[in-house]
Amino acid sequence: MTDCSNGELRDLLPDFLHGQLAPLARERVEAHLRGCDECRAELALLGSLRRTLSHAPAMDVAAITAAIPAYRPAARRAWTGWRAAAAITLLAAGGTSVAVMQRNGERARDTLAPVAQVVPVTVDLPPTAALPTAVATVPSVIPAPMTAHQAAPRELALGSSAVVELSDRELSALLADLESIEALPSPEVEPLPVTPVAPRGSN
Amino acid sequence: MTDAAIGAHGRVDDESDLDLVGRWQAGDQRAATRLVERHADSLARFVASLGAREQVGDIVQDTFIRAFGSIDGFRGESTLRTWLFTIARRLVLDHRRAMRRRGAQVEVKDGDLRTQFDPLDALVADESQQRLRDAVARLTPTQREVFGLRVSEGMSYKEIADAVGTTDGAARVHYHHAMRAIKEFLDD
Repeated sequence: MTDCSNGELRDLLPDFLHGQLAPLARERVEAHLRGCDECRAELALLGSLRRTLSHAPAMDVAAITAAIPAYRPAARRAWTGWRAAAAITLLAAGGTSVAVMQRNGERARDTLAPVAQVVPVTVDLPPTAALPTAVATVPSVIPAPMTAHQAAPRELALGSSAVVELSDRELSALLADLESIEALPSPEVEPLPVTPVAPRGSN
Repeated sequence: MTDAAIGAHGRVDDESDLDLVGRWQAGDQRAATRLVERHADSLARFVASLGAREQVGDIVQDTFIRAFGSIDGFRGESTLRTWLFTIARRLVLDHRRAMRRRGAQVEVKDGDLRTQFDPLDALVADESQQRLRDAVARLTPTQREVFGLRVSEGMSYKEIADAVGTTDGAARVHYHHAMRAIKEFLDD
């Protein structure tokens, strides 16, 4: 069996077989086939091969569909499991404030640390939980170093009004942290480690 | 070929794949059924052509579960069909690796494509069909994959390239090499 020298036409034969050609292209192929023994033979071979390759067991559509879980948007998935536990742990502190304290004249530290100990409480958080509030007190929520001119003490109060008290910079850092949390895998629910911190510069 | 297809009852199904995905995300499970109806058989043929005949049902089901479970990650850079074939292909490769770890023979042998799924078919298969199966069985795995997608599913070279992780040009070369190899075998 020899090949037609018109490679472009030969390339169209599978599409012609599947009825996928636009009318103009289909007419072009039909006109070519009328005068080309090699392409007619190749088209016939493609048809036979298509039938040969079509053997496969019938699929149980109902069973497959039944196995497909209901749709859950990605944002909701991010707030289950350990993230929910983290959120509810902080909310359970009952509005405990996390203070970012800086002594006057000191250089800023680059991490934010809790000053009050909280009791971890593991509770499933419904997917509609507010996102920024709970995350606000995760240590190192503000990754960028604070500069000296921001030495005035600030306070990030937890609770429903916490977010509105954040500066633009703090809010941006918080949102960046949220995005990184969503990228993490979902391990089993674990309580957050809590590290009591003495006020800075106390020594 | 557009996303529209003949539905299970022979009616022309004009809703695109993306329309059906949107309806499923909105809570319409019938949209998922229609997507499965539209793509399950071609996925089964593809998986079978890769040699995973005994796991066709499981792999096709797994393909849909994974696809629907990560639908938010589908960015529409390829068609949904191509995306499904990409997932199925990876599942077949994972299955092969698992079988190799267990020491099982996983390469598609010459005789693999001769076996019919319906035992009755084996009784009535004629010699010419057998020759064609022998010819396809002798292709390299990549040639068989590309050739199958082009001839069985009518995929474009671009779709094939996306599904198997190659380029349009390479897919075209594999196809023509496969066709040449099949013709030479049949001419012998």
